Amino acid sequence: MALRYSLRVVRYSAQNAVADFAATYTWKSWLFGWLGRMLSQVVFFTLAGRLLGSPSLHRERFVGNSVMTCVVEAMMVVASSAWERRAGTLPLLVSSPAGLFEVFFGRSLQWVVSGTATSFVALLALGPFFGVHWAPAAVPVVVVVLLVTSLGSYCFGLFLSVLVLQATQLRNIVSNVSYLAMMTFCGVQVPVGYWPAPIGWVAECIPITHGLRAMNALAAGGRADMVGQQVLEAALCGVFWVLVAAAAFRLLAERGRRDGSIEYSA
Amino acid sequence: MRVFTASFRFQCQLLRRSPGDLSVLVTAPFFSLLFLSMADQAHRSALTPYAVVAPVFMSVWSMSLFVAGDLISRERGTGTLEGLVATPASLSVMVIGRITAAVTVSMLAFAETWLIAWLCFGIVVRVPHPLMLMATLATSALSMAGTASVLAAVFVLVRSARIFQNTLSYPVYLLSGVLVPISALPEWLRPLSKPIFLYWGAALLRDSLSPSDVSSPVGRLLAVTALGAIGFLAGRLLMHQVLRRVRVLGTLGRT
Repeated sequence: MALRYSLRVVRYSAQNAVADFAATYTWKSWLFGWLGRMLSQVVFFTLAGRLLGSPSLHRERFVGNSVMTCVVEAMMVVASSAWERRAGTLPLLVSSPAGLFEVFFGRSLQWVVSGTATSFVALLALGPFFGVHWAPAAVPVVVVVLLVTSLGSYCFGLFLSVLVLQATQLRNIVSNVSYLAMMTFCGVQVPVGYWPAPIGWVAECIPITHGLRAMNALAAGGRADMVGQQVLEAALCGVFWVLVAAAAFRLLAERGRRDGSIEYSA
Repeated sequence: MRVFTASFRFQCQLLRRSPGDLSVLVTAPFFSLLFLSMADQAHRSALTPYAVVAPVFMSVWSMSLFVAGDLISRERGTGTLEGLVATPASLSVMVIGRITAAVTVSMLAFAETWLIAWLCFGIVVRVPHPLMLMATLATSALSMAGTASVLAAVFVLVRSARIFQNTLSYPVYLLSGVLVPISALPEWLRPLSKPIFLYWGAALLRDSLSPSDVSSPVGRLLAVTALGAIGFLAGRLLMHQVLRRVRVLGTLGRT
């Protein structure tokens, strides 16, 4: 019963996400503006790798930067969660019977869908130009890997958004720094092993590290169990972050109720 | 000139009070780390100037786009845009003053990327042509402000600047060769690079970090300046037209 109620809250909140997305983009501005920009980003970093980086990692770098686009979008949850506080609706959400976490979980799901679509187009449309071809049977698996990576990153972003709800002026900095840190340390441009071991340990807790390994294995025609294991690990990272985010939202709401720190404008 | 300096000062005060607006100074070291790690992993340290210059221009361009869009959105949001337009001071000059301030501050990205190269990779990037470096940074900053003023005029007209801001980042980095030489682009795209001042500025900045002589420095600096001046004049003209249109239609404050 409680789960059904929570899912209903997520569904209503996701409707809000769809409305938000429709107010931000038309299909033309998404296709020619946003998608064009993200495809340019993939080409930019892949060519940067060709100029500066190791030629043996050329294919991995294209795959990595294509998958990265869904993470960039998923991390927008940090900024869009902060909009609630700036709009003055956070106290109303805290005082309503619906759980704060469920509301925020549904609130920014548009980025997961849009991000998955962006990465999918990048991998399939740009792939042949960079020597990456997909067998028809691999295409549904590509979608699954992207969805798991995007959703896992979204859960990580949800946790960060709790921190940003307390300092909304930092929303863009946190969102940008988090995706750039993932791009730097999680194996997108250089292998994770290049960095000192402690950075590698942290990278193992981030969904994109495993999502990338799964996608690279898939692109190289690797065994299904190898792909499956990395997808599972990415999903486990996502579950870890969603639990941390849920606990953090509960703490935020409890503290706000107790000390009145959630005001009507920020 | 008084409007320009007052706007410049005002933007500096705004930046001091809202650290969130200085996000490019936080992201520049990451871009630098990213490019330098690629070169280091492939043992291509000779390409360090590319890895140092690109984050500077990416940061400054990103900052000018942000300020050009945000200053109009914020004035509109606080209901002060109509007041600004009604004053005798020129909105174009005010916009240029504010963008120049933001661009000047974001030039600190050069010091950041230089420090990242030194502290994280032990690479001391030498500056064999310091005068050329200073001249390139100064002319590029002014050209950046001039070009961004065109965007500010467009942002007065459109409802949401965010889509334009996002769209004009990576396509411009690609086209202007801030990191990857334009020879990597398809031949039919290359003529589009030369009218972008970033193309000339980035190449000059790279050359000022290279031990060999800088070829035709005056002509290339003039190209940066001339393209900035064209941007400024186009921005003024466009702003004039746009303001006339929104006055007639009564849509200036529309959000």
